[in-house]
Amino acid sequence: MNTEINFHPNEKLLDSFAQGKLPAGMSIAISAHVELCNTCKENTSVAEVKAGVALLETSETKSSSEFDHLVADIVKQPQQKNIMVEPSAVNEIHMLDHSVKLPKALAKVASEGLVWKKLTGGINRAELLLDDETQCEFLYMKPGSQVPMHKHQGNEFTLVIDGSFFDELGCYRSSDFVVRNKDHMHEPASEEGCLCFAVLDSPVTFTRGMARLLNPMNRYKFRRATAKQAE
Amino acid sequence: MVPVALSKSLRASARESNNADGVDSDSSESLLMAVGNWQDIAAYNKLFSRFASKIFAMGIKLTGNQQLANDLVQEAMLSVWQKAPLFDLDRGSAKSWIFTLSRNRCFDLLRKLKRQPSCVSADDIWPQHEENTALVREETASLVTQIAQIEKYCVQLPEQQQAVIEQIYIFDRTHEAAAEALKIPLGTLKSRLRLGLGKLRQLIGVEQ
Repeated sequence: MNTEINFHPNEKLLDSFAQGKLPAGMSIAISAHVELCNTCKENTSVAEVKAGVALLETSETKSSSEFDHLVADIVKQPQQKNIMVEPSAVNEIHMLDHSVKLPKALAKVASEGLVWKKLTGGINRAELLLDDETQCEFLYMKPGSQVPMHKHQGNEFTLVIDGSFFDELGCYRSSDFVVRNKDHMHEPASEEGCLCFAVLDSPVTFTRGMARLLNPMNRYKFRRATAKQAE
Repeated sequence: MVPVALSKSLRASARESNNADGVDSDSSESLLMAVGNWQDIAAYNKLFSRFASKIFAMGIKLTGNQQLANDLVQEAMLSVWQKAPLFDLDRGSAKSWIFTLSRNRCFDLLRKLKRQPSCVSADDIWPQHEENTALVREETASLVTQIAQIEKYCVQLPEQQQAVIEQIYIFDRTHEAAAEALKIPLGTLKSRLRLGLGKLRQLIGVEQ
């Protein structure tokens, strides 16, 4: 599974991931990459050790004895001898001519049911509502498809699950974790077809041609997606 | 279940041998082992006084909220008790392990507070063992290959793995009893067993 992964989350991102500080959508994208990438698996363990040292400092405001009353109830609880694994209802996505196995964290959220919608240019997307700070979606680019030129106001994280895509800055294959921020303008395209999981922390802005007409719509959609939970 | 007297004497001998090896029997790792293998309440109390205030401090840092930090202490220390049998010495220190449990509980607490979709849970994002399913399958796996052949291959395994396989398959002990006999945490025993059996399969040339 670990054949040549070229793009990874950087150290800062893995640190935040290990500390549990990222929104669920981003955490899931990183978790899925970590499952596929031995290097990032090791780096996450290191980040967890660091985070443990940094966060588990003795409290100056409260001593442990103030919690002693909890112990009696805790030790009455049964212990867990085995790790329970609930199999996900969905663990693969069926493409035109083959099936793609999903990393565990993604399989779990995909089990809630994916609704695919066709966009122009051979792109299909299925949106997921995972937290109130990000917009998450599975994206399927058909062979020979292209997303119109766009830039981001915030960050975009894309995990390639199957196939490949390319843009001005490189070519991305299965398990690659691609980060784009507001300085990047790009026009991703795929020759062989590509399944991705993408997380945005603010709306996309299209910069060329008719696609620009989508901008007001996108901003509206993003606000709606992230506001749904607040209601 | 091991009789109390026996468990006490085992524990005492575990401490002696630990000391002989220069391992601190009062280390958080040893205490976690005692909690995981023998539901040792005294050991749990020690861990509790060592970590409760630390987890509270972590809760304040991550949530900025006293009440949530209090809840986190309860949830995280409950996890420590419940999951202690799964602690695996081969995979890291007690402190890091307790941190990961606390982080997961904190993540779930915050999501619950914000009423975010319940399809996401921390234990899915940070799975404890990634070979989860293999681990469970291993326990029911029976060795059907010829005994003589297995014995021949068994001696090629690292000593620690041999010892675990011997406890389980030759002395026919439960995982808990084998962990006690070898003075290792249950989680460590299981991972050695898994590695050992995997290697054995490889040597014999049997797939699953």
